Amino acid sequence: MIPSRPPQAPGEEHPEEPSRRLLWISGIGASGLVAFAWLSGEINVSGFFGADRARNLKRFLTEDAIPFPLREDGFTWSGLWTWVAGHWNAAAGEATLTTLWIAVASMALAGAGALLVAPWVARTISTREPFLQNGPTGALWIWASRLARLICILARALPEYILAFLWVAILPGSAWPAVLALAMHNGGILGRLFGETLENLERRPLQALRTLGGSRGQITALAAVPVALPRFLLYFFYRFETCVREATVLGMLGIVSLGYQIQDARSRHAYDDMLLLVGFGVLLVLLADLTSHGVRIWLRREAPR
Amino acid sequence: MDLEIAPGEIVALVGPSGAGKTSLLRLMAGSLMADAGTASFGGQDLAHLAPSALRAVRSRIGFVHQDHSLVPIFRAHQNVIAGALGQRGFWSAARSMVRPTSADLDRAHRLLERVGIPEKLCLRTDSLSGGQQQRVAIARALFQAPHALLADEPVASVDPTRARAVLSLMKEIAEERGLTLVASLHDIQLARELFPRLVGLRGGRLVFDSPTAQVNDAALEALYRIDSPAPHADG
Repeated sequence: MIPSRPPQAPGEEHPEEPSRRLLWISGIGASGLVAFAWLSGEINVSGFFGADRARNLKRFLTEDAIPFPLREDGFTWSGLWTWVAGHWNAAAGEATLTTLWIAVASMALAGAGALLVAPWVARTISTREPFLQNGPTGALWIWASRLARLICILARALPEYILAFLWVAILPGSAWPAVLALAMHNGGILGRLFGETLENLERRPLQALRTLGGSRGQITALAAVPVALPRFLLYFFYRFETCVREATVLGMLGIVSLGYQIQDARSRHAYDDMLLLVGFGVLLVLLADLTSHGVRIWLRREAPR
Repeated sequence: MDLEIAPGEIVALVGPSGAGKTSLLRLMAGSLMADAGTASFGGQDLAHLAPSALRAVRSRIGFVHQDHSLVPIFRAHQNVIAGALGQRGFWSAARSMVRPTSADLDRAHRLLERVGIPEKLCLRTDSLSGGQQQRVAIARALFQAPHALLADEPVASVDPTRARAVLSLMKEIAEERGLTLVASLHDIQLARELFPRLVGLRGGRLVFDSPTAQVNDAALEALYRIDSPAPHADG
């Protein structure tokens, strides 16, 4: 016979109740925060619906956003093409490619940095007897791992925009501030992710290589990294997509990427030019997204496990 | 526990789960250090060796793991050649993994032939069956040109016929190369049939250590006896 549950003593709480109460408190707190954000007076809701806003929107859609040569002569495909090609050849093409090169260069640096720091982040490798279960740890190795994690946290804690802002003061007038800012931020993120991936690998095959006399460097470089590579590439290309978007935005700091041209067009009130440049930016991000998607499909086919 | 195994001896460790068979094998292989007492190999105390000397000792002890512990994405020959990691420097090992010399490939092929799967040389390890992976693991241990072969429950995951075949193969290889063979086994019949010396462990202690012929059923029964559990508080 299945023993029946003993009656609950008065004052004894059901184990699920505290967490449910926490959920309620969190829900009420979050709702209060949202209400406060809207009602604090910092965000003026009525300003969104004013008559002048509607006029601005109408003018933007019917005049400003229409390519300049097409406003008077009427729409023709050849006219549109000449306008797009003219902009591409003038400055937009170079800015788009610079944006791409900034993203590629910074991700190459970030990836290389992450590969160097990841073994130190992984606590299964940064220990006196790497890969061995219940092996001796060693205080120096533990501190080395903590230091590597701290470096990763600091590198990714600073937003790319702030990092680039600091670098512009040292290296003005070049693409380097954007490259270094993106490399540092993404290097920090990838270093931590790569390290965690190495740490969470199936330990037994690596332990077996240690047992037969393999060195820390041999096992890490020749077995652990190859096993982790598909995951490394997934993270890398995911960050690459983000990096392309960020490289565009960093142009607003005066670095010659798409963002710079977008800001320039806006300051000239040339909203048609601005929209075209934004379009180039979107195409670039789609291209990065497509590459990332392709790599993911290829990896899944190559490594079914 | 006081246990000495002479070079070339063939010994089975038997005992119930949790008896300490795996820990004892790891102590012998130098991959687990004793809290107290000493474990030595070839007269060298493993706990007091410099890292390079410990690596050198480990590189001469072949270890066949229960779950094979092979790198799944490697080709079979890469896993076999990985047996030499402990005897090579970083770049030489990297080269032998990426672009093995024909001498290495020939040796790996001969060893896979010895364990009965030469045709699997270039296949990815995770495409092989459990039994085939086991043979790759044995070939890897032999690629080390070891002085001793340790095996932790090497036949726990194969059917009885294959278990006998694999153990016979390991014993045969050990005899033909003069290797010390120490295997932990659950299957007491196989242990009695194939191994001339049995070491019985229970609760981390040595219960018996005798030639197989002298181990009687009563000793084995005592070794595997299940203690009746303490009565539960609420019945």
